[in-house]
Amino acid sequence: MSNQDVHSFAVVIPALNEEGTIAPIIESIRRFSNAAIYVVDDNSDDRTAEMARHAGATVLPLTKRLGAWGAMQTGLRLALREGHRLVVTMDADGQHDPAEIDSLIEPILMDEADVCIGTWPARASWARQMAWHLLRRTSGIGVQDLTSGFRAYGYKSLQLLVRWPATLLSYQDVGVLAMLTKDNLTLVSIETPMRPRTNGHSRIFETWTHVIIYMLQSLILGLSKRPLTMAGHRLNTKRWEKS
Amino acid sequence: MISLVMAVIGLLVALTIFLLIRRDILNVRHGLGWLMAAGLFTCLGFAPSFIDHISVYFGINYPPALALTLTVIALILKLLIMDIERSRTEIRVQRLTQRLAMLEAKAAPPNTPNSQETNDP
Repeated sequence: MSNQDVHSFAVVIPALNEEGTIAPIIESIRRFSNAAIYVVDDNSDDRTAEMARHAGATVLPLTKRLGAWGAMQTGLRLALREGHRLVVTMDADGQHDPAEIDSLIEPILMDEADVCIGTWPARASWARQMAWHLLRRTSGIGVQDLTSGFRAYGYKSLQLLVRWPATLLSYQDVGVLAMLTKDNLTLVSIETPMRPRTNGHSRIFETWTHVIIYMLQSLILGLSKRPLTMAGHRLNTKRWEKS
Repeated sequence: MISLVMAVIGLLVALTIFLLIRRDILNVRHGLGWLMAAGLFTCLGFAPSFIDHISVYFGINYPPALALTLTVIALILKLLIMDIERSRTEIRVQRLTQRLAMLEAKAAPPNTPNSQETNDP
């Protein structure tokens, strides 16, 4: 990849009450790239925004809690508006390793994919594996780790995801992936080792009530967006081996 | 007697809607539908035989069942339309919240650590 390519992407990190991890993550990204870093503060109760600002990131402070996808879309909108044609998204809890960013953006820089998803299925418990399996079966989306927030979005996918219809989505998994594959964009998944969460917990798997609501919503969404032929999704999702 | 009560209820609802519009509590766009429903109730109250004629035409032996069924259908449709409008409003609020955050991010003075100018491609 050329030097120009390396420097032309942005990193978007949605954060909610992550004052303990956000600054080390930003510093860690800085060690590996010179990318613009946008931290979307999802109306945190702690000093997440302040810590991110001091670490040198551009902070987008939301005045109302929009959830992980709403916060993510905010960052994508600003990144696209500022001319970035490639955006990497990461969680703020320290699970994702910035050293893997190069591997993640590689398929997009090589024009082999529109979206690349960093997956690490080993991180999931058996219950989560079962949930993913069920969601894959109902939606027809062939991505192993549906909920991974470690992704790289190319220009075409960014243009699609900043639009109004995407704002209606609550989560970044089934709805977003179905929207991408429906527009014939190519998704690849790549295995990227992930660390255990160093702070907080999953917003989806916070309580059993959250899990049930999330599952029911995702199942309905997956079924409603499912292509009439199974070939539709499978053609557009494949695995990518690191070079 | 029940028909008269229905007509009075219709008139009271219509009056309430007018008052709400007058005091800027209810948008006239939403008030229109309610006024039409209240008008229909009033008309049916003053001319109850109308629903009997329609019931006979459709072969329904108990006319009030038709009136109740139509009312339930109308209420379900109204609720559905309300949820569609609520979804649109939620999107608008979310887009505005996002826009505000974007503007706030860029409004930070260039010499503060918030600025990302040097890292932009």
